Formats: sequence, C-alpha cells, structure tokens
Amino acid sequence: MINFGFSISRPRVIDIDRNNLNKSKEIIAEMPELQACIGCGSCTATCTAGNLTEYNFRKVHTLVRRGEYQGAYEELNKCMLCGKCRLVCPRGINTRGVIMLIKRKLGDF
Amino acid sequence: MFAAIIIKYVSWLRALPKSDLVLLGKGLVSPQTMMAIWEVVCESLLHRRIFRINKRLGYMHMSLAFGWFLLIVVGWAETVAYLGARWVPLQGHVFFKYFAALNGINTHIAIFDFVMDLLLMFVLSGVALAWYKRRNSAKLGMKRATQHIFFDKIALTALWFVFPVRLIAESITAAIYGGGGFLTGGIGKLLSMVVSDNILEWAYEPIWWIYSLALGVFFMAMPFSRYMHIFTEIPLIFLRHYKLRPQDKEKSYDNFEVEACSRCGICIDPCQLQQQLGIHDVQSVYFLRDRRYNMLQQKIAHNCLMCGRCEQVCPVGINLNTLRLNSRTSMRNIPNEGRYNYLRGKDYSMGEGRVGYFAGCMTLLTPNTLHAMEKIFTAARENVWWADKDGGVCCGRPMKLTGETDSAQNMMDFNKRLFKQHDITTLVTSCPICLRVFREEYNLEGIEVLHHSEYILRLIQQGRLRIKYNAEQTFTYHDPCELGRGSGIYEEPRAVIEAIGKLLETEHNRKNALCCGSSLANTVIDDKQQLSIATNVAEEMDSTGAKTLVTACPLCKKAIARGTRSKVVDLSEIVAGNLR
Repeated sequence: MINFGFSISRPRVIDIDRNNLNKSKEIIAEMPELQACIGCGSCTATCTAGNLTEYNFRKVHTLVRRGEYQGAYEELNKCMLCGKCRLVCPRGINTRGVIMLIKRKLGDF
Repeated sequence: MFAAIIIKYVSWLRALPKSDLVLLGKGLVSPQTMMAIWEVVCESLLHRRIFRINKRLGYMHMSLAFGWFLLIVVGWAETVAYLGARWVPLQGHVFFKYFAALNGINTHIAIFDFVMDLLLMFVLSGVALAWYKRRNSAKLGMKRATQHIFFDKIALTALWFVFPVRLIAESITAAIYGGGGFLTGGIGKLLSMVVSDNILEWAYEPIWWIYSLALGVFFMAMPFSRYMHIFTEIPLIFLRHYKLRPQDKEKSYDNFEVEACSRCGICIDPCQLQQQLGIHDVQSVYFLRDRRYNMLQQKIAHNCLMCGRCEQVCPVGINLNTLRLNSRTSMRNIPNEGRYNYLRGKDYSMGEGRVGYFAGCMTLLTPNTLHAMEKIFTAARENVWWADKDGGVCCGRPMKLTGETDSAQNMMDFNKRLFKQHDITTLVTSCPICLRVFREEYNLEGIEVLHHSEYILRLIQQGRLRIKYNAEQTFTYHDPCELGRGSGIYEEPRAVIEAIGKLLETEHNRKNALCCGSSLANTVIDDKQQLSIATNVAEEMDSTGAKTLVTACPLCKKAIARGTRSKVVDLSEIVAGNLR
C-alpha cells in the first residue's frame, strides 16, 4: 500500500449484531432499572473521580450495554464509589450497584 | 460433643494472627481475666443484657441457662451426698435417679428433692415460655422470631423434650419407688393412684430411654447448631476483655463471634429493611448463619444499611457491622492495583490556616451546607484551609463499605498526605461518614478531627459565635447513624439546636435513631425502597410538630428531604441563619 503519511481513523460504528451481548443481557437482567437511563449525564457531571481525571460513567455503561466491553473494567476502576451519582440521578438508578455489577461481570470477582 | 468443641476452639486459637496472640498473652495475667469471669457469670448464666432489652425474653433465657446450670451443679451435689466421698463426674447425676432406684437406694434427702424439683420447675417454666414464643412471639415482645433451618429445629425439639420428659421420668420413678419433691413426688403420687403399677413398671424403662435419647440428640447436634453459643460465648468474653476485635479483613477471631450467635433473633425487629420493606432474609442473624455454614451470598451480605440498630440490641454484643464488612471484603477485595494512579500530584485545596475543612463528596452536593460553613468560619474569624472546595478525593469509606478495602486505602493515603502537607492542627468535616473514617482509620496524630457540630458548639462556648435565641422556632433532630451510633456524638448537635430554639425529640432518638435509608452501605435496595424508608423517617420527624427538620449529615438531609414537604436543613444552616 502506498504510504501517504497519514492513515484513516478506524470506524467508530458500534455494530450490535456483531457484538457479543451475552454479558450485557446478564447485566440488564440483574438490574433492569439501567434501561431507564435517559443519558442526561448528571452522574458524570457530579462525579468526584471525573473531576480529577478522564472518566465518564455515562459513556462506560452505555458502551457496555451495547456490548463494547473493551477497557470498561479498567475505566470503572477509576470510580471512588462515593455515591453522588446515585443521589443526582433523575431516574433513581442505583448507580453504585450498577458499577459493582458491571465490574463483577467483566472482571474476576 | 466436647471433643468437637475443643477441636474447634484450639484450631481457631492457633489460627489467630500474631498481634492477637500478643494481646491474648498480655491480657491473660491481668485484672481483665477476673473481670471476664464476672462477665461470664452475668452474661452466660444470668443473661443480664437480654433482661435489659426485654424482661420476658430475659427470664426465658435465664431460666433455661441458669436453671439448667444449677440443676447440674445441685444434681452433682446430690449424687455426691448419696454416694459418699468418692469421685463423681459432673454428669454423674443424669441418670442417677434411674440407677439409684434400681440399686435400691431408697433413702431420700428431702432438701435435695425439694431444690431439684424447684429448679426443674424453673427450667420448665422457661421451656413453656419458649414453646409459647414459637407460637406467638409478639406476646413476648418479639414481632418476628427467627426462621430456623432444619438442623436447628432438630436440636431445638430435642431441647424442648429433655425437661418435660425428665419430669415424667422422675415422676414415674417416684410413683414406683417413692421419694421426689413437691413436683415429681406429687405427680408420682397422683400417677400411682390413677395408673396401675403394671403400666408404670412397663413405662419406666422407655421413658428413661426417651430422656436419654433427647439429651443425646441435643448434645450431638450442639456443636453444629445454634446451641454452640452456649459455650462459645465464654471464650468470646475472655478474648474481648483481652481487647481482641474483628477487623477489616476476616481472621480467626471472627469464628468466636460468628458461633457465639444464638440466633435469638432480637436483631430482626429493629431492622428497618424488615419493618419498612418486608425483606426477611438479610438480617444479622441470617447473615451470621449463612456465613457460618459457608453459604453466604453477595446479595445478602450487601443488603444492609449498616445503621447499627441491630448491633445496639445484640445480647451477645457481637460486632455485627464489622463482621459484615469483612465478609464483603473477602468477597470483593482485590489486591491493590494502582487504580488511583491518576491522583498523584493532585491538590485542589485553597486557603491558608491551621484549621482544615473537609467538605466531603456529599457536602459538595449540598452547597447550602458549604455556604453556611463559610459564613460560620467568617463570623468566627477563623482562617481556614479548604481541602476540597473545588473538588477533592473521597474519604474512602464508601468504597470500604462495599468491601474493596485495599482500594479505599489508596484514597485514605492520599488524603492523609494532603492533611499532613498543609500542616493543619484541626480538621473539621460536616460529613459524619468522613468523620468516622478519619477517626477510625486515618491515624491522624497531631490533628484533631471534629464534626462541625462539635466545632460549632465549641465556637459558641468560647463566645466566638453569637447566636440569636428564639423560643418560637421549633426544631426536631435526626441522629445520623454514622454520627450517633457510629461516632457517639449525640449531645453536641442538640446543644447547638437548643442555643437557637426549641428542640422536640422524635420517638426514636439517640441510640435508637432510625436510618434515613440512603446509607452508602446498601447497594442492593432500589430508589423506591430508599424513599419508603425516608418517608417513614420524615413522618416520624413531622409528627413532633416541629417547623424545621434538622440533621447533621448531608446524605441524611438529601434523603429525608425527599420524604417530606417540611423544610429539612443541616445544622450549620440554622446556625448561619441565626447569627447575631
């Protein structure tokens, strides 16, 4: 291939048909309330860890639900579980429970 | 039975970590041993603590334990008295009446007959109460009794049979051979009048066999059932006097606490998850049972507010919260993996001063509290170092409560270094969750850690804050769990409120205070369930008729505010609002 000195970025399309949704389904089955998320981002806006580093809970759990597990566990490890997100969530989602659940499903708990 | 118990104790003691063994060695030859012996008498025999909680239950337990103990001791004395001065094992009395009658000992010492019958009646009254309690626990002051597993039920049934059968057996013996005190002798006379001698002779052997079997079943089942508590409480009391305690991580000492649980179920009634939400399988009694038999599930271990209401009433004084915490740790803790490397070098603190103020995550979420504290500091002319006004690191307790102890340690180390770096002498926080972990885990030598209620009270007493008093203003106060039962601070916030207006107490206050329901320790219950608890708490506060509901925890404030239309404020807000 000719080297033009630059490359094309990899497509960022999430192909749900291709992704393995088993884990995602398990997670939603255990905590169906996660589906009530409206993606407002309050959790991320108020996040203690997010204030100090690049960490976005809304993004992580959305990706996980779509079957994009790569790096999610490491990302969730930045969380301090302080619980502010749960208090501000307008849908009353048990966010701390969700974080622990995703980590358990994707990690080695 | 004794073999099983001794094997258990010795293996647990051998597995104790070194630091605990040192404590044990130090304690062994100290006055603590004598105090422990006294406590064993008070608790294991007389059950003083249960009496304090509930007189009827106290009597039931005491009649069984103390009564049985005396039966054994007096029985032994009786046996010795009959057999003369020779060595008699302590259990020698069990079938004494049986063999004595067969071997033709027919003289009777009236005083023993009388005392033994009296004691038997004492024990039987306990058994009767226990029977009654199974059918109708509410009458004995327990709204809900423990649901026992099958194995416990066998042991329980055997225990219930032991004494009534003994009564019948001794009565029949008395009927045939004479003797017996007012109870067995009386029934014996009645029997000999009503029933023919043949039948009595025929029933004599079987009834003693049934008695023997019931006793046998009970003693066989004992080390593996709830009745293990009878003996385990004794070493536990000694170890506790030697200052051994359960810690963040499971250790051998925990076995003593876990098996000292008698599954009496006193912890069930105060549990708000049970009262309010109808969750019946997570209470401490079930948690300890599941843990003991290695069938503990995460769902159960994590479904607890850790409010400490059960710990408050536990008659054995088991450290229920700590045990639950270290179970969680065993389930979830992963070795420190550098997950908080991003904290390195971060410092968002501002201001200069010897007094540091740590708002904590939750206070940052309730800016009214933060502004009120700002106002108070200004009024008192205090130079303050703001640790995390512009965002900081969590104190680590919320993480710890979920069981990730090592990760929480990272945050604690970070904050500790921050405090030391800025050379503060006093650390004020308005969050009881932070307060507790600062006091218990941080080891902040040279830094005095104060809750804002303590700090404000001190300012008022020193005359640095001048406050308007108005008796027209009525307040009621909610004791946050972490502040009250957790850190023992009950009176300071009340003193501050009384400097401002009239304080009306709620029905459950101080040690018996309710939890707001939003406790960070529980990651299982959902939003609706949290709200249901909060509404219940708010209703109780509203029923005092106070205009303003006060609490001293940002998390409680947020939780309670959802459950009522009344005004819910933090302690600092009413202080800031009534400055002169």
